[in-house]
Amino acid sequence: MSFFGFDSSGPKKGRRSGRSKDEKGGQPLDFDETYQGFGEHAREEDDYLNSETFGDAADVGTDFDFGYGASEYAAPTASHDAYVDHSRSYASAATSGPAVAAVPFGQPAQAVEEHLDFTPMESLWTNQPVHQLQQPQFVSMEEIERQQQQQQQQRQMGMLPQQHAYMSMPPPQHIATMGYGFPGQPFVSGAPQMTGAPQFQDRNVDFGVQAVPPPPPQSVGPRPMSSSDMPPMQYQQMSPGFEQVGQQQSHVPVPAPVQANKISEPHHAPQQVFSSSTAPSALSPVVHQAQTQTSPVIEATMSPKRPSQQPLSPHGNYRRGTSPRVNQGPPYYQSMNEPFAKGTRRNSMRKPQEHLSEEDWKRLQVRQAKVDKILKHSGVMTPRDKDFITRYQLSQIVTDDPYNEDFYFQVYKIIQRGGVVGESNKGLIARAYLEHSGHRLGGRYKRADVALQRMQSQVEKAVTVAKERPQKNKEISEASKEGVLGKISASMNSKAPRRQLQIPTKMEESDETTSSAIDDVAQCLQGVDISTSSSKLRRRSSYALRSLDQSAVLTRSGGRKFVLSLIETVYSEVLELEAQLRSGKTIDSSGLWEALHIFDDAFEVSPFISILSFDKGVKIMPRIINFLGKEQKLKLLSCFFSELSHLNIVVTSSYRTNPNPTGAQLRKIELFQSIFLKIIVSFLSSSAEFMEVMGLLLALVKNNNVSFITTSKIGLNLITVLISRAALIKQDVNRGSILSSSEISSWNEIYDKLFTALETRLSLIFPPSEYTQKIVSITNPQPAPSVPGTPLAATFTKPSFYDSSYIWQFLASLALSGKLNHQRIIIDEVRDEIFGTISKAEEFTKSAAVEDQPMALYQRDKLYQDLNLFLNVMGLVARDGEISELK
Amino acid sequence: MLFFSFFKTLVDQEVTVELKNDIELKGTLKSVDQFLNLKLDNISCSNESRYPHLSSVRNIFIRGSTVRYVYLDKNMVDINLLQDAARREAMSAKK
Repeated sequence: MSFFGFDSSGPKKGRRSGRSKDEKGGQPLDFDETYQGFGEHAREEDDYLNSETFGDAADVGTDFDFGYGASEYAAPTASHDAYVDHSRSYASAATSGPAVAAVPFGQPAQAVEEHLDFTPMESLWTNQPVHQLQQPQFVSMEEIERQQQQQQQQRQMGMLPQQHAYMSMPPPQHIATMGYGFPGQPFVSGAPQMTGAPQFQDRNVDFGVQAVPPPPPQSVGPRPMSSSDMPPMQYQQMSPGFEQVGQQQSHVPVPAPVQANKISEPHHAPQQVFSSSTAPSALSPVVHQAQTQTSPVIEATMSPKRPSQQPLSPHGNYRRGTSPRVNQGPPYYQSMNEPFAKGTRRNSMRKPQEHLSEEDWKRLQVRQAKVDKILKHSGVMTPRDKDFITRYQLSQIVTDDPYNEDFYFQVYKIIQRGGVVGESNKGLIARAYLEHSGHRLGGRYKRADVALQRMQSQVEKAVTVAKERPQKNKEISEASKEGVLGKISASMNSKAPRRQLQIPTKMEESDETTSSAIDDVAQCLQGVDISTSSSKLRRRSSYALRSLDQSAVLTRSGGRKFVLSLIETVYSEVLELEAQLRSGKTIDSSGLWEALHIFDDAFEVSPFISILSFDKGVKIMPRIINFLGKEQKLKLLSCFFSELSHLNIVVTSSYRTNPNPTGAQLRKIELFQSIFLKIIVSFLSSSAEFMEVMGLLLALVKNNNVSFITTSKIGLNLITVLISRAALIKQDVNRGSILSSSEISSWNEIYDKLFTALETRLSLIFPPSEYTQKIVSITNPQPAPSVPGTPLAATFTKPSFYDSSYIWQFLASLALSGKLNHQRIIIDEVRDEIFGTISKAEEFTKSAAVEDQPMALYQRDKLYQDLNLFLNVMGLVARDGEISELK
Repeated sequence: MLFFSFFKTLVDQEVTVELKNDIELKGTLKSVDQFLNLKLDNISCSNESRYPHLSSVRNIFIRGSTVRYVYLDKNMVDINLLQDAARREAMSAKK
């Protein structure tokens, strides 16, 4: 027999070489090639139990049944033999069986426990040192008693080392969980030949098993030698549940009665139920014997609850006192078995003792079969094993730095909760894990708090593990767990999944090219600078035609690739800054400022302007602005206004350069308006001084072809924002700061400049009707003309005409700041547009069909409203097709 | 960890999972782990006539490696945040 199919019968040279001959085409193998030199190592210590663990020579195949399946029924003889042979201590325990029955209860088993040779392989399961020491082979009665008392004392003080090894729980839970995973007694029952006493005992230990399922009477197979001493061991393992039994029935001297009592009192503990469900048939051969053998005793002890017969009971009594919680707080992992146990198991336990009708018996058998099937593998892992794995899994999930490694989830949750940071991250993980891992909260008594507490402590530990992970990877400890939890790859596949696309990172190379490109550009510029002293101005004055080609603009600001990489740099800078902000560190935005390349003379067009050509560049702007000081914002904006003509969005929104706008371009314009225009407006209205507004306006007027900019919607919007803000500040004068005469004169100067640039071209700010119609058709796709009845509602809700209010707003603010002669010029120039608008408005109502009347009225009012925005500034109002004085 | 982090936000949402063997399952995502194994509850199979054996299945555990697609509702995803998260991931990968 062997574990995991390991061939323990030593090297079978003949057979192996024969096989490999076949594989290698008959070529004989060189011994040195095949032998890896394992035998040259010093003989490992503590492997003298290998035969126990791996079996001797029996061939068991590879189809292992880790449940308590039929194989264990089938192999009682073999296991019995093995049991006798393999270990001195068991043998001694077994042979002393009869005597055991006579000595006071509990002690012989203690002796056995102490003699256990299959020392817990704690190291296999945890990193804790092994706590249990090898005991002398034979211990005197006094020694045993002393040890027991010591143990009790330790336990009383909550200092049992194993407890610490197991898990750090608050003291009450310690007691409650103690019985479930005695750390010193790991799960050894995998070895099939140990079906006998050792396994029995171990299972008891691990699960707190003390109750034994009812053996079907017919399956009894007598086994005289070991039968009598089993139950004492059982008791000796003193799982809490058992203590509880002790409470009820006091101490029972003979092993079999213990069982009998349990059978007759199925109502006691969840623990009992649990245990009975964990390893029933593994135990059953023994149990059966016990029953048959001691059946008279069973009869005797069936009368329940005898008072304590045995003088030696401090042990049991004591623990009764210390573990009150046993009854009320079953750990959560029991809950799986609970519902089932309450019903079926209990009944089935009682039944065999009664006289059953044929039918009942059959039914019971069916049920038993089902139960067996369900429970076949329950208990293969101890709760402790599960906890270990839970902890291991958690350690893969939790991180010390959630905002870094779990960014999306963390921020998403915060956004969902409306900016409120809720529970701590660890608590959250504990809760989530508890909810999703199949642990039912709190088990039978819904002790959710207990379960959560436990899980939180697990998370706490897992975080520690996660912290240590980097160093640990180097050590072998990681590899030592391989096989326990499947293959553990050091590269953490789950964190860094294999990539489908391998993009070579030629960072150095590309750096070289860009830098050389920059050099080229710089050289060119220098050449230009030498030849013409005012190159910058000249360059800017020749913008318009060259700016039509977006790629040309990009090229002149470093190239598309460069700009895109710049945007990514900006993003990473912003993300970095935001992370700093979250962690409460001081913020250094100089890196960000560098990345923006504002006023970078190395480029013909500032890269910042090109950044704004891309949607993602526009979208990041609000977050950039957050990290900039006022001075920097001002610089940014003056750069922006100086190079406005190069701005992609101005070019695309101008009817002159882009007479056929697409839907995507219109969306881009809208995006720009809603994001960047907003930033400018809020900056101007909240923090800009008058002179600063002037500076921006001057930058705009000086460096750009104003009349071209006014043909674009965005450009017009921007100019409107500037001059209306200036006008507002000027009007605000009476409320506070009075503008100095120099400020006023500079304002007049700049306004004159602006006006001169616009004069005679004012009518050009109105886009031609073809252009407006195109935009209307794009923004309001006409419903299919084949269905004339339906579109009414749609057209009513969506006014399908070009919204020219932005033009009238511009004219209004221009007129507002101008003197009378300015206003007269404006009116002169746009007179046609004014009357055109009025007639258009009147036409709407006249030409519209009756059912379109409300729509037409709305459109007319809208047109008048926009027009009056401008006319009101000069004290005029347009109404019902006429212009009159505003009263 | 980005996908793990992302899928965690979908817990308790209804998703449709297409497996590599063409089975499509719609159900409430109950749990996800670092291997992107999924636990679905209240599942329904979109082509039940082909896979009748799934008609009696209510909840299911799917090994992450067998998933081809997960179909999501658009509203479940915060695209801007996802972009940020992806950039962070790329940043930390570079380091």
